[in-house]
Amino acid sequence: MIFLGPLRAEVYAASWFAALGEPLTEGDRVDAKAYAGTEGVALVTSWREAEDFLKSAEASLDWWNREEDERKALLARAEAQYPKRALWTALTELTTEAGDLVHGKAAVAAARMGGAATASIHVAAGAAAQAIYQLAVARVAGETASLFESKFRLFAAGRWPLGIKGSRLVLF
Amino acid sequence: MTDIVIKTVEELKGAPEEYREAVSKLVISHAVNELYGAQVFDEPAIAYAPTPYAKWLTCRVAMEEYGHHVRFKQLGTQMGIPEERMMPGGTKKPLSIFEFPLKTWEEFVAIKLLADLAEILQVEDLLHCTFHPLRNLARATMPEERFHAQFGEDFSAELVKTPDGKARLQAAVDEYWPYLPKFFGGSKSKNNEIFRKWKIKQRTNDEMREDFVKRATEVAAKYGLTLPEVRQAA
Repeated sequence: MIFLGPLRAEVYAASWFAALGEPLTEGDRVDAKAYAGTEGVALVTSWREAEDFLKSAEASLDWWNREEDERKALLARAEAQYPKRALWTALTELTTEAGDLVHGKAAVAAARMGGAATASIHVAAGAAAQAIYQLAVARVAGETASLFESKFRLFAAGRWPLGIKGSRLVLF
Repeated sequence: MTDIVIKTVEELKGAPEEYREAVSKLVISHAVNELYGAQVFDEPAIAYAPTPYAKWLTCRVAMEEYGHHVRFKQLGTQMGIPEERMMPGGTKKPLSIFEFPLKTWEEFVAIKLLADLAEILQVEDLLHCTFHPLRNLARATMPEERFHAQFGEDFSAELVKTPDGKARLQAAVDEYWPYLPKFFGGSKSKNNEIFRKWKIKQRTNDEMREDFVKRATEVAAKYGLTLPEVRQAA
C-alpha cells in the first residue's frame, strides 16, 4: 500500500487561491526563489491579466519542460519501488479527490475577485491539481528536496505560480 | 415485471439476475472506456497543448476523465465487481478508436468536439436510469462531459481562424469521425434490448446514433467543418 495520508492532510489544510493578487510577503519571496531559482518576481493582480499571460507567446514553455523532465525522472524512481498498478491507483485517487477540492476553491476565489473566464477556473484547478500530483510523485520516490515542494508551498500559501518569464517568476 | 426502481447498491442484491448483469455490464463499460480515453487521448494531449493555459486546461480535463473512471470503478467495487474487470486487460474489449494513439493537438480538439459529444449522449441516456446510484453518477458526470465538449468547441473556434489551422482540424475530423458512430453498438444489440426492457437505458442504439450524427453535423458546421459521410452524400 502506498501511504499518501500526510500529503492528503496538507492538501486539505492549504489556502488554495486565497491570496491571489495580494501584495507579496517575505515568505512568498523565499518560496518563489526556492521554486524558480530567481530573486525576481512579477506580480499579477487579476484573473484577466493571468489569462492574458498564460495564453501569450511571452509564456515560455522551457520551465514546463524542465518540470516534466523532473517529474518523469521521479516517476521512474517511484515505479522502481512500487508495483505500477498500486502506484497508479494511489496517484489517480489522490488527484481525483484533490482535483475536486481545488476546483471548488478556484471557483470561490474567482467569484470573490470577479473577472475570470469560466475556463480559467478549470485552468487554475488543473494547475493546482498538477502541483499536488507532482509533489505526490516526488514524495513516493523518496525525494524531499524537489522543486515541487516549494511549488506546492506557493499554492498552499494561496498563490498561483503562472510560469517563468525571462529571469522572473510570474506569480498571481 | 420490468417496472423496477433500485435506489441503493444494497437493494441491487435483491434485483433479478438479468438486471444485475445488465447494470454491471454498463458500469464495466464506462469504467474501462473512461480509463482508455484518459490514457490514450487526454494525458498525452497535455504535451501537444500549445500554451500553459491550454496545458493546464487539458490537465484538468484529463484528471476529470480519470476521475470518471475512478467513480465508475468505486461504484463497481461496491456492487462486487472485481477490479480486474474494470481495468485494461480485463474481459471488456475497448472501443476501436483507442487503437489509434494521439499524434497532434488538432486530433485532440477534434476528439473533444465529437467523441465527447458521443459520450454526452451515452451519459444522457442514463439520466433516467432505474438504478439510482448509476443515474446519480451520470448526473454528476454530465456537467464535466459538457465542459469537455465545450473545450472542443472553444479550441475549434481558435483553430479555424486560420486556413492552415482549419485544414489540420478538418484532417483530424476526417481521420477520427469514421470510428465514432460505432460507439453506439449494433442495431440488433441484445444488451440494448435488455437495458431498455429494465429502463436502465432509454433509447435504441440506432436512435442514439442517428441523434449523434445529427448533433455532430450541426456542431461541426458551426466551425465550417464537414463530416466525411456528409460530404460524400452532398
